[in-house]
Amino acid sequence: MDKRHTGLFVLRMVMMTVIALLVIFPVYWMIMSSFRTQEEIFKYSKLGWELFFPVQPTLDNYKAIFTDPSKPFGRYMANTLFVAVVVTAAGLLVNSLAAFAFAKLRFPFKKVLLVVFLSSLVIPYEVIMIPQYLLIGELGWMNMYKALIVPQIVWVFGIFMLIQFFTDIPRDILEAGRMDGAGWMRIYYKIVLPAAVPALITLGLMTFLNQWDSFLWPLVVINEEKKQVVQVAISSFQSLRNISWGKVLAATTISSVPILGIFLILQKYYVQGITMSGVKG
Amino acid sequence: MNLLSLGVLRKRGSFVKGFKSGVYDKQETRAAFLFIMPALLLLVVFIFYPMTRALLISLENYNLISGSSSPAGLDNYKQLMSDGVFWASLGHSFYFAAVVIPLQTMIALGLALLVRRTFRGVGIFRTVYFLPVVVSFAIASTIFKLIYNKDYGMLNVILKGLGLPVADFLSNPDIAMIGIIILCIWKAMGFFMIVFLAGLNNIPDSLYEAAHVDGAGPVQQFIRVTLPLLKRTTAFVVIITTMDALKIFVPVYITTSGGPAQSTSTIVHYIYETAFKQMNMGYASAAAFILFGIVLLISVVQLRIFRTDVEY
Repeated sequence: MDKRHTGLFVLRMVMMTVIALLVIFPVYWMIMSSFRTQEEIFKYSKLGWELFFPVQPTLDNYKAIFTDPSKPFGRYMANTLFVAVVVTAAGLLVNSLAAFAFAKLRFPFKKVLLVVFLSSLVIPYEVIMIPQYLLIGELGWMNMYKALIVPQIVWVFGIFMLIQFFTDIPRDILEAGRMDGAGWMRIYYKIVLPAAVPALITLGLMTFLNQWDSFLWPLVVINEEKKQVVQVAISSFQSLRNISWGKVLAATTISSVPILGIFLILQKYYVQGITMSGVKG
Repeated sequence: MNLLSLGVLRKRGSFVKGFKSGVYDKQETRAAFLFIMPALLLLVVFIFYPMTRALLISLENYNLISGSSSPAGLDNYKQLMSDGVFWASLGHSFYFAAVVIPLQTMIALGLALLVRRTFRGVGIFRTVYFLPVVVSFAIASTIFKLIYNKDYGMLNVILKGLGLPVADFLSNPDIAMIGIIILCIWKAMGFFMIVFLAGLNNIPDSLYEAAHVDGAGPVQQFIRVTLPLLKRTTAFVVIITTMDALKIFVPVYITTSGGPAQSTSTIVHYIYETAFKQMNMGYASAAAFILFGIVLLISVVQLRIFRTDVEY
């Protein structure tokens, strides 16, 4: 490499590092401040090393959010986890069954049904939110977990993604299964599902993250404090007067760091999901 | 044999289609409908039925507080046409979109170009740039709200420390939206970086080699090779960004609640307030339908523009 190239490379590395620091800063600041005392957070208002590191690290903020009976943070986490897990499991089942039928089975009205499914992608959530809310009220599901779960199970993006994946499975393998006397249900879970594990992990991860992040819908259908999900609970933390920044940041940290961890482990699948479907999660 | 005779019978009706539909296996058909049924049922109950009902509600005076509903014809729509707050919120959404679409697309493409080549450590940069995508919008908004805080926020402490003027993103109506824009770009740029990265990887190296042989420098290669071949990817990014930008809600709700002085009240925030604070379901549904129409129209126009570009 000549000098000019090395120079360019160094310049580029410096640029990338500066951007990386800027991008990571809000997350770092959140985690770092959650270990600070209330006093410390407001104390340092001049540039200096104390601004970027906790001087007397403490776990008090974490203790406080988990022991406050009026804002049961552990309960919010459990609520969200429960809803996200159930939606992910049910969604994988319902969506993969439909996708399998569309991708591999021959049946009348297939094209029409597929168009019906795909046409729902045009409908923005903002339009159906109001009647969905009224429907939940009429079903008597207000303040119930099923209001958060049942409407979220079917996900046409997910079906579409799985169809593309299932199409690659050769029909011959399925026919062979038929010859051996297996029913279609058996073929689905003995042959199709095992072959689609990477795609299912991708879809499961995306569904889980969507549910974990879900905000507007729980905000609308859950009003009972102890049934709330974590994202909405955090936003209500700060609308209270005399908020403690330390507590808010401990709450945001503990509800996002595990998710970041899962992502780091499974990022291959998540990125694959974006590039494979070319579609937003 | 049975199948064949069925096929012959069907030929009378329609030649091509008939033979094909004659060979459906009964068991297979039954299995297929059984497999599709749960998804279809949920789709009908929670998406298609609400969609129809939204249209009907938008033609009613439907208030949940008074519990009254009466037919209103097109009154809601007519009233919206002269509703200054509605138009202002629509304006804020368009302002937001007009800044975010070009800026975010350029930043995402820039990042993708930076992390495109494989060298040791590039994976770390990709991961870091992508990380904010995994942070939820509610949490990202909360963090930025505290960082932007006028008195104790990190941003102003640093700006002051560097001797720069302070930026008051949350209570100055002139710049409040910019604060939200920065937050949204931070959150979403990594997602579109990955999309661009996939697009860049689809461009064959041989094209760059050919351009290099022809004496094209890096800038020329970018303009002559990269940009034209990224057209489809760019179309996808721009269309998705537009749809998302016009529907921005969570950051607005958390950081400013539409304030100060309504300067950040976007259209979805307006719909939310109308429906769930004033409980005015009919009026809010009409506003949501107008938004739907606008988004659909813009998407169709964008698809046209990008398609003709690709063809010529």
